[in-house]
Amino acid sequence: MPAILIADDEQHIRMLIEQTLESLEDEGVDILAAQNGEEALETIKEKRPELVFLDVMMPKMNGFDVCNTVKNTLGMKGVYIIMLTAKGQEFDKEKGAESGCDLYITKPFSPKELKSKAREILGL
Amino acid sequence: MAIINLKKLLQRKDITELIGGLIVSIGVNVCIKDGAGTILYGTGGDDLSGLPITVDGQTVGWIYGENVSKIASTASLLNYIVGAEAQKKALATETLDKYSELTMLYDFVEKVNAFNVKEIADFLIKHVSEQIRADNVSVMLTDEITGMLELIAERGSVGAQMSAVGIAGIVMSSCKSEIINDCRCDPRCAMETGGVSSLICSPIKAKEKALGIVIASTTEPYNYTADDLNFFCTLVSQAAFAIDNARLYESLKEAFIKTVYTLAETIEKRDPYTGGHTKRVMNYSVAIAENLGISAGDKERLELASVLHDIGKIGVSDNVLRKTAKLTDEEFEEIKTHTTCGRDILSYIEELKGIIPGVKSHHERFDGRGYPDKLKGLEIDMIARIIAVADTFDAMTSDRPYRKGLPFNTALQELRKCSGTQFDPTVVEAFFKAVDNNKINPENQEKYIRGDNNDACNSDSR
Ligand SMILES: [Fe+2]
Repeated sequence: MPAILIADDEQHIRMLIEQTLESLEDEGVDILAAQNGEEALETIKEKRPELVFLDVMMPKMNGFDVCNTVKNTLGMKGVYIIMLTAKGQEFDKEKGAESGCDLYITKPFSPKELKSKAREILGL
Repeated sequence: MAIINLKKLLQRKDITELIGGLIVSIGVNVCIKDGAGTILYGTGGDDLSGLPITVDGQTVGWIYGENVSKIASTASLLNYIVGAEAQKKALATETLDKYSELTMLYDFVEKVNAFNVKEIADFLIKHVSEQIRADNVSVMLTDEITGMLELIAERGSVGAQMSAVGIAGIVMSSCKSEIINDCRCDPRCAMETGGVSSLICSPIKAKEKALGIVIASTTEPYNYTADDLNFFCTLVSQAAFAIDNARLYESLKEAFIKTVYTLAETIEKRDPYTGGHTKRVMNYSVAIAENLGISAGDKERLELASVLHDIGKIGVSDNVLRKTAKLTDEEFEEIKTHTTCGRDILSYIEELKGIIPGVKSHHERFDGRGYPDKLKGLEIDMIARIIAVADTFDAMTSDRPYRKGLPFNTALQELRKCSGTQFDPTVVEAFFKAVDNNKINPENQEKYIRGDNNDACNSDSR
């Protein structure tokens, strides 16, 4: 069963993304959530989701560090990681590239685009 | 209300613990099934008595136990959890709808300001059609001179805006949006509804004044709601702001071009040959560009560059500039500096930096034998390649004190001859197309006395 992890410390953002991707559950996709960097890393190790939405600014461990650990330290290159960054805070592309993240999306995101991106990555 | 996935709910850690703990404490065999009868918790259940788990009168699952009274508390807890979840979900759905609308608007606001009036209208129509049911969407603006409403952009069945005549006047004067769901019977609509059944109409309002209106309409009866109107008005008001800005920008730009033009004419006066030359070079350049499919931005730069192409002559002395006899080599070198001098002048004006290549290179030749940089072929800025043709053609056909200009057709032959050597063949081709379309003809060139020694294209126009 393919899985998507949503990692963001802001509850309403998690809820919005969950709601956006809800219909994918009917197609057998498992939607997981994490509230901070550490929890995200644990979930990735344990559940091995295909796709991760990772907020950059998170308590305990920031998005870059989580991504770096997953992609480089653990060598889990197959996990598609999309970083979420807030509008106005410039995304550090260099850091993003170093950490090995696949894509970044600025909040506010377009739900329509987010969903089609997720479908594309999961091959649905 | 949103349907609840009981299975997913029971998988949640906090709920698993809560329900599991409760069931253990009652000490009986319990089974939970979803609405379709799939077991989600425990085993069996067929021989046990059950209680439904419902949300808003809809059964989403069942709980079974050996003794109904023993599972009653678990059932009510489950009912409570499911109810709370349903409420949360309804809220989430609503929030997501609002959020989608908001991000769309965000995107709209961010992009809408970058366009001219026509593009803003098209952009608005595109977004309205995506979000609101409509067979026709039209944007109309009051013409600043005639005071009449004019159609700027439209999508859908042609002519539907005709029906708006009645309602348009009302919205324009009241400056308030209207919904008319039954146009055929509504006195506010014109007699001839043009097949429109329902419509929504909003003023394009800027500084408390209606600049125009936007109408969305359907041919089949449709019930536009207050929500539709709300959303429609939000988009229109954002577009109104952008349209107002674009108009202001366009008039500023016009004023700027006029200033530039006046400047160019002042310089032209020093150079007797160029009377009316600037204007004609601009007209020819624009006519050529129309057949080359260049972008709006390039067209703007071309206009400015064609007007200012000889601005560097400000630095050439009068006795050289006004000399009618053949120039010495030294004098010709001085004339040549007007290209680099033009670049130097323009580099001080931020708004004009973009036209420097067009001005500096207007004497380059396609074969690389021009000046000042001996650029070749496509190395020469496209705008400069256009101006080169326009400039030389006008130099050839204009009269001078000591000889008449070449006849129109002879000059055309000269152009043809120099295509590929002095000129870019594509540009020459575009020039001929403009002649074919009568955009360039002998009548539209006023004759001026000139004192320059620009001969046919083989000798360089200065
Ligand atoms: Fe010139």
